[in-house]
Amino acid sequence: MSEEPTASTWGAFGVSVRGASHQRSGLPNQDSIQWYPRRPGRYGPPLVMVVSDGHGSAKSFRSDVGSEIAAKRTRETVRQLLKSEIVSSHPSIIKRLIDERLPRDLVQNWRKAVDKHISENPFKDDEFARLEKKEGILACKKVQENPYLAYGATLLVVLISKNFIYFLQLGDGDILIVTDNGEVIRPLPKDDRLIANETTSLSQRLAWQEFRSSFIPLADFPPALILLSSDGYSNSFRDEESFLKVGRDFLDLMQNEGSKMVWYNLHNWLHEASQLGSGDDISLGVIYRKDVVQPVDVNNLDAESAEVDNCLDAPLEDNSNDNARSYYA
Amino acid sequence: MAKRPGGELATRPLHFIWICDCSGSMSVDGKIQQLNYAIGNAIPDMQRVADENPNADILVRAVRFSSGAQWHIDQPVPVKDFKWPDLTSGGVTDMGKALTMVAEQLKQLTERGLPPVLVLVSDGQPTDNFEDGLKTLMSQPWGKKAVRISIAIGEDADTGVLQKFIGNTEFKPLQANNAETLVRYIKWVSTAVLQSASSPASQSPDAASVNSNVPVPTPPDNNESSSSVNDVW
Repeated sequence: MSEEPTASTWGAFGVSVRGASHQRSGLPNQDSIQWYPRRPGRYGPPLVMVVSDGHGSAKSFRSDVGSEIAAKRTRETVRQLLKSEIVSSHPSIIKRLIDERLPRDLVQNWRKAVDKHISENPFKDDEFARLEKKEGILACKKVQENPYLAYGATLLVVLISKNFIYFLQLGDGDILIVTDNGEVIRPLPKDDRLIANETTSLSQRLAWQEFRSSFIPLADFPPALILLSSDGYSNSFRDEESFLKVGRDFLDLMQNEGSKMVWYNLHNWLHEASQLGSGDDISLGVIYRKDVVQPVDVNNLDAESAEVDNCLDAPLEDNSNDNARSYYA
Repeated sequence: MAKRPGGELATRPLHFIWICDCSGSMSVDGKIQQLNYAIGNAIPDMQRVADENPNADILVRAVRFSSGAQWHIDQPVPVKDFKWPDLTSGGVTDMGKALTMVAEQLKQLTERGLPPVLVLVSDGQPTDNFEDGLKTLMSQPWGKKAVRISIAIGEDADTGVLQKFIGNTEFKPLQANNAETLVRYIKWVSTAVLQSASSPASQSPDAASVNSNVPVPTPPDNNESSSSVNDVW
């Protein structure tokens, strides 16, 4: 038995900026962000937002590609899921089916795509030479034994259907819910194991077992905003309270100044946070309920619309993630 | 630019702690003087690394152990203000007590910090319950995740204990049998290791070393790894 669909519609936008430390070292942005629907004027449900953070360590020397594969493949896998009959099942059945299937599917699809990338772009001697110089021969051996390490990345996923929101997380990063009255909630508790830059990863064996998930039926009180961010964002604030304040502030700004103003300023805000904070790459995805904030006037976004269209099905090999990008849908 | 959402921004703290043996044997053949010289001499290098990594807020302190243990520098000092007050030697080797004191401080670190760097320098064998001290240290999440380096001064140092402190057989205690080698290792810890710990790069459990998420760079060659005519300790 399915629940009555809610009347909520949802929009989304996001930005990924290259971190200050990566600008200094010459390393490209290791984060990726993807969402659906992405074309201006289109809203969910279904809606999918994905943020992936490539590790950027010496062993994960292709993690910019790894995160891009993760974001794109995950968006497509979840889109297929949202088209399937599963989403019209009873919420308890939906949750169980997604819990059982989605993490395995996401890891499997990522690995297949990484395998393909490796077969088309075999590891080069100079990649291992650089790794050996930095971390020694044992580090090279670890990557040779598990080539996925080179592409290691995390995953944050939010999917919204007519009846439910599903949150999925592998590794570090943050998902925040903001209620209509500005209360900020973490739908997934923090993973106490993830300190000192340690993270669970798509690259590790049995990665699918490390996913954490949460499921919220939409019948009662749908959130006003949902924010997904790579850990470079929360690590840029002095403490948890300072970070959680972004939830309330985003809602206030989008209600009082308009979501377009937020979108236009987002790149600079994240860049400033990285410069004065963690130095890490920062990606932020914003999902908003259309009836509680002022949506952007898409007629004024011709240039951005063209950029979105050009990037919708960009090949995995493109380097568009090296620079900051922002899109709106 | 419109008001930025969120509260106060801050760089990530990185705690660097020297854990120094000040037992009576350190006075033999000028070991304590050379240790003082080596750490003081490395300060400009630490400051250079800090300048190159402005998103890491490097904070230094030191604990000394002999008969008991005391904080030699008890408050975390920003590296730009860091000065090294000379250590003096005398007493036994209560290394376990020093590790317990470090563990107490690690309890107070915030979770957003970078992995701390702990450098244990010793020329002898613990005279107290080292195992208890190590257990206390390793019971702390930040103790487990710290970058732990040990330097053995002279042939009488208990390298077995120093290896247990590292907790990873991939890395051995650094053996310094003369002043030149000690200076080289202290400089390496103060630069290459500090640089590595300052990075925001993440590690998955199967990519990390046994205990630490920070890849420890390859130490400088020790040409006197067996024995050398230059060895005095």
